[in-house]
Amino acid sequence: MKIRKSSICFTLLLGVFLLAGSLFYHLEASAANQEDGTVFTVGFDASFPPYGYKDGEGEYAGFDLDLAQEVCNRRGWTLKKQPIDWDSKDMELNSDMIDCIWNGFTINGREDKYTWIGPYVDNSQVVLVSQNSGIEKLNDLEGKIVVVQADSSAQAALTGEDATQENQALAGSFGELQIVGDYNSAIMNLEAGAVDAICLDVGVAKYQQKNHDKLVILEETLSTEGYGIGFKKGNTKLRDQVQETLFEMLDDGTFQKIAEKYEDYNLPECICLSKDTPGVEETLAASDGEKKEAAQEKTSSGMVFLEKVKTGFANFGDIIKQLLFGFGATLSIFVLTLLFSLPLGLLITFGRMSKNIILRGITKFYISVMRGTPLMLQLLVVFFGPYYLFGVKLSSFGPYYRYIAVIIGFSLNYASYFAEIYRGGIESIPDGQREAAALLGYNRVQTFCKIIFPQMIKKVMPSVTNEIITLVKDTSLAFVLAYTEMFTLAKQIAASMTNIMPLFVAGIFYYIFNYLVAYIMEKIEQKLGYYK
Amino acid sequence: MKNVPVLEMEHVSKNFGELEVLKDISVKVEEGEVVSILGPSGSGKSTLLRCATNLEKMTSGKLSYMGETDEKEMKKYYGLVFQNFNLFPHFSVWKNIVDAPISVQKREKEEVYSQAKSLIKKLGLEGKEDSYPCQLSGGQQQRVAIARALAMQPKILFFDEPTSALDPELTAEILKVLRELAKEKMTMVIVTHEIDFARQVSDRVIFMDGGVIVEEGVPEDVIDHPSNDRTQNFLKKLQRE
Repeated sequence: MKIRKSSICFTLLLGVFLLAGSLFYHLEASAANQEDGTVFTVGFDASFPPYGYKDGEGEYAGFDLDLAQEVCNRRGWTLKKQPIDWDSKDMELNSDMIDCIWNGFTINGREDKYTWIGPYVDNSQVVLVSQNSGIEKLNDLEGKIVVVQADSSAQAALTGEDATQENQALAGSFGELQIVGDYNSAIMNLEAGAVDAICLDVGVAKYQQKNHDKLVILEETLSTEGYGIGFKKGNTKLRDQVQETLFEMLDDGTFQKIAEKYEDYNLPECICLSKDTPGVEETLAASDGEKKEAAQEKTSSGMVFLEKVKTGFANFGDIIKQLLFGFGATLSIFVLTLLFSLPLGLLITFGRMSKNIILRGITKFYISVMRGTPLMLQLLVVFFGPYYLFGVKLSSFGPYYRYIAVIIGFSLNYASYFAEIYRGGIESIPDGQREAAALLGYNRVQTFCKIIFPQMIKKVMPSVTNEIITLVKDTSLAFVLAYTEMFTLAKQIAASMTNIMPLFVAGIFYYIFNYLVAYIMEKIEQKLGYYK
Repeated sequence: MKNVPVLEMEHVSKNFGELEVLKDISVKVEEGEVVSILGPSGSGKSTLLRCATNLEKMTSGKLSYMGETDEKEMKKYYGLVFQNFNLFPHFSVWKNIVDAPISVQKREKEEVYSQAKSLIKKLGLEGKEDSYPCQLSGGQQQRVAIARALAMQPKILFFDEPTSALDPELTAEILKVLRELAKEKMTMVIVTHEIDFARQVSDRVIFMDGGVIVEEGVPEDVIDHPSNDRTQNFLKKLQRE
């Protein structure tokens, strides 16, 4: 009794300490914030050098972040560098998680979606190809596989609403236009021969060319365009503050100095920020008329949300139509993965429970690797492995290789989970069953097929159901191989509509699908319930 | 010419690591004989049965059925009824009985079915053919297990404490079946704690303790007039209970 009392006391004390500690931490943190003034949060894509990237020491660095730092230093703000998922940038901005998008952000085509500073960098859209690809002009891209980053200006220049007719025709002539999440995987794809060309910003293209010697930039460009700093629509107050400081920096030469740090990327030649050139809004106002602009700026944030929901519902049919296409892809990954991984898991179980110590060791290691590393990494290894390990050009595997790699990756991973579930099921069957079978003269195959396997199925059903439901949601990981299943599609639609509704709809799709899966599995379990 | 014994175990020993569970045991069972094995728990009775039925490998010694020493060949001669039945839970009563004769022994379905029908009748399981083991009482389950073993037409049937998982009422039901089998001259080896039953049905009683056969003989000698102290002590304890 005494011991129990003292241990309760100890637990209480510990709790009080932890609570006090965390309170103190928060107090101190907020005090620090007040001292330094405002926190200025810049959203950027961390895989977009030279504007924003992770440097050799693992710190976020880049031209834009240096500029932002200088602005903060001058204004007494604290800079918070917030790497974001490019597809989610509008959600980040609209929910005030970030104050601006400052990251080689192309103005063209987005003029009226944000409140802008700039253009401050002139950037053209170019095409990056392999040296010996034989592609020299834009026309040579006919029938080729071309990549753009999702929701990038290259994509907009090719297929966006404001794309020129020539570019639209060009995009139409491509064999395939693939959309990837980030440039690194696009470059890996290009090097590995899985794609023929990448359309991207000239600055990025030059940077990538430096690090990968066999790449060339076509002389013909897709478009010329400018980078700006995007603030939430209507947030002119913050925009004006940042702009004022930037102009100061321009006047005293700091701006140019920072650009010179990135001379390797031709940045000093690209800079075009000037007090004299009309800003985006002035140009817009001149063309569109001031009324619309003023009305939009006055909309309160609450109204903006309602508007979003309204447009979301207005496009509901469209969203569902588009998502259904992605759902087909999700469903096919799901079905094929189950088709291969369920039996493969059984084979692995045999190895894992084999009397052969080598076989047992190999399967044990396999399972521990498959369960101990991220599925995302495994997918990348399956896809890029043949090139990076054996130097095989991925294009030689045919047009469906991407899809095949997704299925192989998922199947290998899920098989290891199923194997362990099966093993648990088999081991939970009493020895008496095997002994009775041995006494009756059943051989090993008969014992497994007639006695062990049917009982195992019943025992593993709940765990398998769990795993299958996880698989439904895991299919979204196919995006790392730029395979467009439902969730990737939802993110892309959400980005192009600047509306979160497609993601919700995708969520509903997943839920309904999983509900059906759970229902079917429950029915199967009931069917197996005829014995105990 | 002398008959070949159904079961012959010669100088059988069994070790589990350091532990010697059976020490140089020899047993012979002739056709039509009913042998009961008595003894305290841990005396090696069950291990002896498990060695005889090849569920455990003997450490040393010889085992033969009808003179046959090949492990695979001797399988057809013996059957075993377990303490906790070990019926296949996903098979119906009918399938539990007929599956092995058809798929292992490759016998004619017609013949197996008619045999199964008479076994079901004999063991009082009529109407239970389509039930699953979980729907039966312990006594019924054990009777199915006996039917399953008999359907294989063994030369000798082992029973490993067939009633110890059952309450007294159901025990009587199983003992009745065993008595009938004894009357039909079925060769049986029964590990049991039922002294009265052993005395009534056995031709011979073996008393085991500490991995050796302490005493062996007709029930009147071993049970009623035991010569060994250990047998006397064991029987006294049982009677007190």
